[in-house]
Amino acid sequence: MRTDKLAIGLGKTVAVAVILVWSLFPIAFLVLSSFKPGQDIFAVPPKLVFSPTVQHYVELWNGWGVFFSGLLNSTIITAGATIIAITTSTAAGYVYSRYSSRMLDASVMFLIIVRLIPPIVVTLPLFPIINAIGLNDTHIVLMVLYATFFVSLGTVLMRTFIDQIPRELDEAAQIDGAKRLTILRRVIVPLAAPGILAVAVFVVVFAWNEFLFAFIFTATKAKTAPLVISEMIGSIDGVDWGVLFAASTVQLIPVLLFVIFMNRYLVAGLTAGATKG
Amino acid sequence: MASLRLAGLKKSFGAVDIIKGVNLEIKDGEFVVFVGPSGCGKSTLLRMIAGLEDISGGELYIGDRLCNEVQPRERGIAMVFQSYALYPHMTVYDNMGFGLSLNKTPKPELDARVREAARILKMEHLLERKPSQLSGGQRQRVAIGRAIVRKPGVFLFDEPLSNLDAALRVDMRMELAKLHRDLGATMIYVTHDQIEAMTLADKIVVLDGGLVQQVGSPMELYKNPANKFVAGFIGAPKMNFLPVKVQSVAGDTAMVASDTMSPIPVKGRGFSVGDPAWLGIRPQFLKPGPPTDGEGALRGRIALVERLGTETIIAVDTAENERVVAAIPVDVELAFGDAAEFQFNPQAAHLFH
Repeated sequence: MRTDKLAIGLGKTVAVAVILVWSLFPIAFLVLSSFKPGQDIFAVPPKLVFSPTVQHYVELWNGWGVFFSGLLNSTIITAGATIIAITTSTAAGYVYSRYSSRMLDASVMFLIIVRLIPPIVVTLPLFPIINAIGLNDTHIVLMVLYATFFVSLGTVLMRTFIDQIPRELDEAAQIDGAKRLTILRRVIVPLAAPGILAVAVFVVVFAWNEFLFAFIFTATKAKTAPLVISEMIGSIDGVDWGVLFAASTVQLIPVLLFVIFMNRYLVAGLTAGATKG
Repeated sequence: MASLRLAGLKKSFGAVDIIKGVNLEIKDGEFVVFVGPSGCGKSTLLRMIAGLEDISGGELYIGDRLCNEVQPRERGIAMVFQSYALYPHMTVYDNMGFGLSLNKTPKPELDARVREAARILKMEHLLERKPSQLSGGQRQRVAIGRAIVRKPGVFLFDEPLSNLDAALRVDMRMELAKLHRDLGATMIYVTHDQIEAMTLADKIVVLDGGLVQQVGSPMELYKNPANKFVAGFIGAPKMNFLPVKVQSVAGDTAMVASDTMSPIPVKGRGFSVGDPAWLGIRPQFLKPGPPTDGEGALRGRIALVERLGTETIIAVDTAENERVVAAIPVDVELAFGDAAEFQFNPQAAHLFH
């Protein structure tokens, strides 16, 4: 019995270690390399002991101003997309939770199906339209696009959260004199906050990292940080890996901090409804 | 304060009729209890008055105003829910003041009214707490406080005590009665508990199958139930019903008998000779001992003895395999399996179709 338990414990530990190495290795390699002198980055065997340098970061700052304006664009677009997505998902989730009709029930299925279509299929035909209305290379087009791709998942998630808020609270508020929008704002939103944050995490991570749509719909003014990083690889002077790794690290940190900070809400979001009745 | 008038009120969900035409007058300041078994439509009727359910047919007047299409917030009502429905993210103070803050009541007045309600309900010390930090009874008080603060014309209570334990329920029942006396407001109270109905109501409305079975004061309903359903529902333990046949009719008195019971005269209208009928006898009117002249008699074997302290509840199986319940004084010694005989005064019995 005891050896069995020991074996299982050992097995679990090894499994966790393997997963950790598997998922952390690229990040560790990236972050460590950004502090290595250029010649040490691809040294064989890899140098684990090296004298750290911020040289690449200085070069990034001096030579790649466009990266930092890209970061600013990324921040604006991510914030905008997140606000649009959580506002829409919460309002829609509330409607799906509190109202019922044949149309609504059918459209839930539609929401899920839409999510299964490769986004690019829906997006490419949009290009000429967006071009025609002059929204190309603007923040707003990416905000709306990113938000759109998360509204379906966000709505389903928010509905699950709001389903757990007793309807009597709506009714009590209704009798207290609240109109629908007030009920949503003063009663539902505060109680569904963990769900809203979970949706926010999904959107932030997606919008911050997204490449393809940014590549299609932006050129200069609204160019996001991932695009600039890709340009570093295609640079005509050859790839400066140290600067590339420094840029990647800078790009990585905000979203990493955000996810760590929001971790518990993310878990709450993923398991919402799991323990319900 | 306000009176109410329900005229032919109907509610259907699709093809299912829940409320099938309710007519009712509620006077200003009256304490009215809707009582009935689960699914009788009592909560639905209350929610229609509140405006939380649409009215499918008929008219609802609160005061002189036709309210069928009026929003809940404009009906001058307040409601206490079975689940309390307190806003979990607000303090007790904010829970109680929420309605007033929505209609932009000036801060000092809001504060005064919340504190006044808290004083009435003796919970001034709880104002800064969140609902999760309160016991069931305290939450119930907050829910009532939230209603009081709004100074409604009509208070609506939807089974407000059913989540409380038995002792607390008795306390809260008394407090509600006192609250009604102090505020003098119109109150409509839904319950399935006939003891709550009997103790609180000025007027009881017994509902079954979406129809009003009888309306009256508690003692009217107890003494003169309009039908077998009301008779069985009001009073604890439940009234006994024995199958009998009408042997003769004279005015509003019928002679009834069964195979094991000799004929007795019972009040009852609309019966003809040969009709099958139900003889209703309340357990309190069955007395142990042999019958004297003109009294009804029941014989059987004792199947159950429950000593409650104030009285003893006896279940007797008769020769016709009917189970009859009697409430007898505690000093009468009867035990399981004994043969027993009971007598009753036919004037205290009821006859139903």
